[in-house]
Amino acid sequence: MRYLLFAIIVFIAGYITARFSLITQALELANFAWEHGVVGRTIKGFLILSIFFFLFCIPIERIVAREATNEFLSSALFNPANILQKGVMGGSKSSSGDVLMRIFWPLNYPRDDEPGVLVGWRNSETDIFVVTILNGVNSTRIDNELRSGSFFRKSRPSIDRIFDICGQQELCVLGDVNGFAAEKEEFHPEYLHTFTHKSSRYPQIYCPSTSGVTMQVILFEEPDPRRMEFHSLTPISLALEDNGADGENDDMEIKDREKQELLVEKLKQHTVTRIPPTEKEESLQMIIHQINCTHETTEILRINVELLNSRRYRRALSVSERVVESAHSVWRTALGYGWALVMCCFPWVVNIFVIIMLFWRYLAHLLLLILEWRLKPELAALKDISATAQQCDIRLQQFCYWPLQYDTVRQRKGDLGDATNSYPHYIRFYNSLWLVANDIIIGIALGSYLIENGTTVADTIDYYLKTYTIDGLGRTIQWLLIDPGGLKLNEELDRFLGDLFGWVLNYWADITMQISPWLPTIIYAIGISSFAGASMPIALFSDLLSILTIHIYSFYIASARIYNWQLSIIYSLFHLFRGKKINVLRKRIDSCDYELDQLLIGTTLFILLIFLLPTVMVYYCLFAASRMAIIILKAALETCLACLNHFPLFALMLRVKDSKRLPGGIMFELKDPVEVAQGFQHKFDTAPIAYIHLKSTPLPLSAMFKQYSQLGMRLKRHYFSARVISCLLTGKAVPPIHRRNLYSMQYSMLPTVRAHWREVWERLRK
Amino acid sequence: MFTHPPTLQIRTPSPTTTEFIVTTRPPPSLSRTIVSVVVGSLRLVAFLTITTLLLSQHRLIPPWAALLQRDERLDPKWLYPISATVLWIIAQRSYTEESLLVIRSLGVQTSTTAGTLIGMGRKTRFIQTEKVRDVVINEGFYGMEVRFYLAVLVEGEAALSVVFPTLLPGRRICEQVWRGTRRCLYQGEKTKS
Repeated sequence: MRYLLFAIIVFIAGYITARFSLITQALELANFAWEHGVVGRTIKGFLILSIFFFLFCIPIERIVAREATNEFLSSALFNPANILQKGVMGGSKSSSGDVLMRIFWPLNYPRDDEPGVLVGWRNSETDIFVVTILNGVNSTRIDNELRSGSFFRKSRPSIDRIFDICGQQELCVLGDVNGFAAEKEEFHPEYLHTFTHKSSRYPQIYCPSTSGVTMQVILFEEPDPRRMEFHSLTPISLALEDNGADGENDDMEIKDREKQELLVEKLKQHTVTRIPPTEKEESLQMIIHQINCTHETTEILRINVELLNSRRYRRALSVSERVVESAHSVWRTALGYGWALVMCCFPWVVNIFVIIMLFWRYLAHLLLLILEWRLKPELAALKDISATAQQCDIRLQQFCYWPLQYDTVRQRKGDLGDATNSYPHYIRFYNSLWLVANDIIIGIALGSYLIENGTTVADTIDYYLKTYTIDGLGRTIQWLLIDPGGLKLNEELDRFLGDLFGWVLNYWADITMQISPWLPTIIYAIGISSFAGASMPIALFSDLLSILTIHIYSFYIASARIYNWQLSIIYSLFHLFRGKKINVLRKRIDSCDYELDQLLIGTTLFILLIFLLPTVMVYYCLFAASRMAIIILKAALETCLACLNHFPLFALMLRVKDSKRLPGGIMFELKDPVEVAQGFQHKFDTAPIAYIHLKSTPLPLSAMFKQYSQLGMRLKRHYFSARVISCLLTGKAVPPIHRRNLYSMQYSMLPTVRAHWREVWERLRK
Repeated sequence: MFTHPPTLQIRTPSPTTTEFIVTTRPPPSLSRTIVSVVVGSLRLVAFLTITTLLLSQHRLIPPWAALLQRDERLDPKWLYPISATVLWIIAQRSYTEESLLVIRSLGVQTSTTAGTLIGMGRKTRFIQTEKVRDVVINEGFYGMEVRFYLAVLVEGEAALSVVFPTLLPGRRICEQVWRGTRRCLYQGEKTKS
């Protein structure tokens, strides 16, 4: 009927348009209006009016509305004394029979007047969890079907799994929506009466003030499991848990943790009365699980309700219908046979693939063994010395871990329930894949640049090396030979040291001259290696830098030794000068009677060394400073490596795309009761109801970059400690930070022990 | 003119749910509304000016607004720092608001507006009732003075979780909030047991 009417209307409209040539006339009119400037005037008028509206009408309206609400609120709500008095009175009056009722309500329910049935979980008498509203069904029939368990004809196993997660409870009917005229009914906590309307976002719940119940309605947005959203009480961790303790083997950190544990123990003795948590308070974790399952449960309920409604129309097919259907499905049957054949071959293909992969994994394992091999347990392995070896080690370990990680991620598909454990795996796996892919993309760009401009880059490197590490150093040594900055140095010692370092430097310059023709080839090789990722050339550059500046390192060692010896001799001669000596056995300073000749010689030597000290110190300062500069340069390269290897790129992208996938806890927002009550249709006397909105907070950035800040903290603690600075001042060798502490961040996404190949085989075969 | 000594506002839709808000926002009045409108329009004008300057510096002004294009470029040494400072000042919030939401049977939630970005910087922390060991008022050194503060003792954590950490309202407000919190969290249970 409706289509017929529509067709008639269209016909009439078309006829009128054609009969009176409406379009031509409209065009003419428009043309006329345009020529006489009507359009411009209209726009001007519109603009002036709208400016007037925006400037005056809207502000005045806003101000009036605000003032009105402010007046109202300040008289009614925001008067603390008033409220407190009320609270005290209310508390004393109603505390005898006050029952707290908690209702969890999903926010995306249909907002209309249609009657329906509330279905959900009843966690306890006064703790209710609404899953969904079912429209167009009979309440008692649904209740019976749910009770007898015959409701879920379809998808029984998945609903069983959901019940498992949500505390082994069957769904039941909790009440009705828009069911009846509520005014005279009594309030039953077992059967709620609620009302929804399109004017309000919030459900209205019938609960008269005589019932002695106070209500909390907690509204939540149900997370969509297909989009991998979920709520969680604790922030999800991006690092592997079993590595957490391993990374913290810094002495200071262990001490700090012990101190904190002591404090916690002390705090436990603080509280005088301990109020045991009620059942409701303990069930929060389960409620979060229920919230996570809401979406799935709703889907299953919808399907089953449709089945329930359509069940009576079902009948068997007649013979002719069957013939038609089999004729239709010939092609499908053929396809089915083909598919079966493919499925028959599939395990073989998979097995061959797994075997090939295991072979590669075994090769990687062998390489890793070489990289980790130590001559003696206390000596450094290859990967501890060279950044390149370290980089290879990380990539190979990642490669070895991927099959297992992939297996874990794939298993998650079968089990949506325990989201909190499985999603971090997913994020970690794709984060490492993304990082490697990114690394390779940047690496290809860098590599092609290096290959094309190999000679230029080599020339630049050669130039800088020569100017700063050889010529610059030589010039500074020359400068030190002629009273630097007016400092009076001992001329003979100065010339000796200057000549010594100068000769070695000249010899090193000769060697670099030999090397420099090969530099373009080396750069070319580095360029080719960068197709394995941009981190590779950076690591290689870092190694190249340490090889090409090895002379500075040796100068530093030599000058530091001389300086340190001299300082310690001065120290002991100073004690001799005072008539004391160090008692090594008792570790203290004793008085000692020296002979006159001993004292004379000692004092002479002491004065001599004091006068020679500035000369040695000047050289030590020079080489220590250049050594520091190189260390800082290498640290910058290492930071680049850390960013390329461990940057939480995937997590950041997820945070931008859909922050619900990275939950960092939950938060509540109390809704304004006046605002909530405005939209309600039924006006009746109600007990106090608090509307609270439950939201998921996204993981804060500080938690994502926690490991970076931890690493920075460790570096700061190590290199800015008094011990290191005193070592630097006295010329002792600065103790390097333990490599495991430095690289714990990079390994935090990998397990400490590599799985055996047999385990991998078994897990992949499954 | 823009801020006010910290005042306490309490919202209790039901005796089991209370929100305590401590804010330096002045109480609503006509003069404040006018001031906020003026400040808001000044902010908008400053933001538009800075954007136009920056766009015209890089010749990025779209063709329909070619009037705004300046021919000579400004000295980048001054332009960038000044525009960054102005943008930072624009983004400042004129008041601080901190709140404590107490929900019986769920827990307590502290929240703080971090003073920089409008709308974005709200830090919340929710503590389940299970984890709440106690709510206390304590004294602590704060710069050169001793201040009272309200804190939540959390199970298994060494650090106190301070409520209203930036405003640190006086003892009177702390006491009021403390009484309200304890009543809201525990009173029902006491009478039951």
